Amino acid sequence: MASSTVSRARPDSRAPDVPRGRRVRRQLPSSPWLFAAPGLLIISAFILYPFVSTLVNAFTDRRTLIPGEFVGLANFRELLHDDMFWIGLRNSSLYVLGVVPALVILPLLLALLVQKNIPGITFFRSAFYTPVVASIVVVGLIWVWLLDERGLINSLLEAIGVGRIGFLSDQWLLLLSAMAVTVWKGLGYYMIIYLAALANVPRELHEAAAVDGAGAIRRFVTVTVPAVRSTMALVGALSSVAAFKVFSEVYLMAGPSGGPAGEDTTLVMLVQRTGTGLTGRVGYASAISVVVFVVTVALMLLVLRADRRGEA
Amino acid sequence: MPISRRTFAAAAVCALLPLSGCGSGDDGGSSDASGKIEGDITFQTWNLRANFKDYFEGLIADFEKKYPGTEVKWIDQPAEGYADKISADAAGGTLPDVVNVSPDLVAPLAKAGLALDLDKAAGQYRKEYLDGAWASHRIPGMTGTYAFPWYLNTGPLFYNKSLFEEAGLDPDQPPKTYDELFADALELAKKSDGKVATLANVPTVEDFGRYGVQLMNSEGTAFAFNDAKGVELLTKYKELYDAKALDPQALTATPESSGKKFLTGAVAMNPGSALDLGNFKKQAPNLYKNIGITDQITSTGHVNMYVMGVMVNAQTKKKAASVAFAHYVTDAEHQMSFAKKVAIFPSTAGSLDDPYFTKEDGTDETRVRVAAAKSLKNAVNYTPVLFSEQMKTALRNEVAKALQGKESPEEALDNAVKACDTLLQQQG
Repeated sequence: MASSTVSRARPDSRAPDVPRGRRVRRQLPSSPWLFAAPGLLIISAFILYPFVSTLVNAFTDRRTLIPGEFVGLANFRELLHDDMFWIGLRNSSLYVLGVVPALVILPLLLALLVQKNIPGITFFRSAFYTPVVASIVVVGLIWVWLLDERGLINSLLEAIGVGRIGFLSDQWLLLLSAMAVTVWKGLGYYMIIYLAALANVPRELHEAAAVDGAGAIRRFVTVTVPAVRSTMALVGALSSVAAFKVFSEVYLMAGPSGGPAGEDTTLVMLVQRTGTGLTGRVGYASAISVVVFVVTVALMLLVLRADRRGEA
Repeated sequence: MPISRRTFAAAAVCALLPLSGCGSGDDGGSSDASGKIEGDITFQTWNLRANFKDYFEGLIADFEKKYPGTEVKWIDQPAEGYADKISADAAGGTLPDVVNVSPDLVAPLAKAGLALDLDKAAGQYRKEYLDGAWASHRIPGMTGTYAFPWYLNTGPLFYNKSLFEEAGLDPDQPPKTYDELFADALELAKKSDGKVATLANVPTVEDFGRYGVQLMNSEGTAFAFNDAKGVELLTKYKELYDAKALDPQALTATPESSGKKFLTGAVAMNPGSALDLGNFKKQAPNLYKNIGITDQITSTGHVNMYVMGVMVNAQTKKKAASVAFAHYVTDAEHQMSFAKKVAIFPSTAGSLDDPYFTKEDGTDETRVRVAAAKSLKNAVNYTPVLFSEQMKTALRNEVAKALQGKESPEEALDNAVKACDTLLQQQG
């Protein structure tokens, strides 16, 4: 028998019956590292290196084609006196305030609407999800066309006597329009997350509340919301980070200069504008990136802490 | 064999070290381009493959035939983000051997030691080009010329004759100077009750130049467009903006968006090139029937000239072949043959005297060509070589503040000049 042959050939008391072809060789201490090496290399090259490089560059006056020298905190001191930085910080913060509540609440309501298994509901689920998979460039162009001074929405407004509104020429309306597009595009994505959470809410809780005389709104407030509270925190954290780092929507709608007089510039747009091109100030742009990183981490911690406090 | 932490860290550092070399800005090395013309080189153009594939393939084949042992690999990059592509290549050490550039792209490359000084490496060809064209790739504060001049253009100004007629303006007498433009624009806005703007873009640095504003000091070390003339121009533009003679979305417009406004008849005038005529014919036949073509608006008598160049990478290992190919692309014979395929103009001496650029055959295309060639003879490249993208944005934002009334034209231009000077100093 094969097993006895193996036992004779190699008297190993731990694996006496393992056939020769299948026997597992003794694991070398380096084996886990070898398995992890490809992943570690990719992470090091495309995540760790750029991150560390950004941190290092933030303390230099590096430019695109010139390595630069260590300048200490000079870039951060300059930020304090840069009007455009404060405009970017204001707009990115306003974006969080404007977009996050909508992206926490509206997809939940949408998920409740499409949660039920009624005929044709798949169509609506797909329809609400469509903006998520659409290219942001296409989405941006469509909305620019809709909101243009001579676009469809303004033509309709004029037809009903309201008159044309400068959605794309007024600083605040432009920012609000971009926020609306972000919400419109994100609804479906967060709706899917909520649908998964809602599927785990015990039906008995709703039935018990109904027996106790709770109406739909009361059941929503007392049963659904507490049950999906952690998911709401997750959506809040994800959407606040995404909102603070907004680029595409504002860039496409406000143009490369960041709206009239650059008043709609966000921090990430400022990073792009400052740090790219042949004369880009990589060091200064890196300093802005560090600020973006610190704020997004703070936002995440804030939301998760609020969730933990709510659980207690 | 177990891998120690130290070995692993060393391996990781070795893997990452090549990346950290990005943008280390090695010096350009020797300018000597003598030696045998042979070897493989790369040639990068700026959005030319779509329309001129056959021309460039033929050009390359002819060069390879003329110089056996050479091989040219042609790369074409899209127009969008071309500067970013070059900067990524330059920083990553993968800049092609021969690159299609404009003077403002050459400046930072030359300062980083990546553009070959052609006064030293190819000075013998200098006399083949127009003096002004050869000088267009000189960088203030540096000695030398950093690209072969290639094609030149001025670009006509299109206008919608029917909109002019509706406003009671003579469609055969379009404005020529800024004063005439302002008068006509205000009239058009008034007659259309603010529905038709004449322009869709805020003034650029080239507008300031054509208005007669001094853009930089004589040494080229500081900007100067905040003088009385500059303030006057911006004040006039503010009047246009308030009267809706300047499109309300001009503050955020791009050349593409203003082109669309012109196509839809929302705007009466727009700059362009002879290539646009085909677009009008296809996309807006009614506009095409009423299209008017005139010279750029200028109050100095000199229109703005756009210059293209062909640069040789100073770090190329095939200097002789690269210089020979860059010269081959831009010599009189090949510039002329390229000019006959597209509405551009050669920068080589004497080429503009060819009947192709002096005789009309009655068509709009030849009318545009002859008029543009004529205006080229005393055209000026108003774009300062050191005017970076960041400076363009700074000027644009300050102009927008003035138009919105948030700052006076004086304040806006003072701030713009201050911002541009700071950026200029940071460029080193």
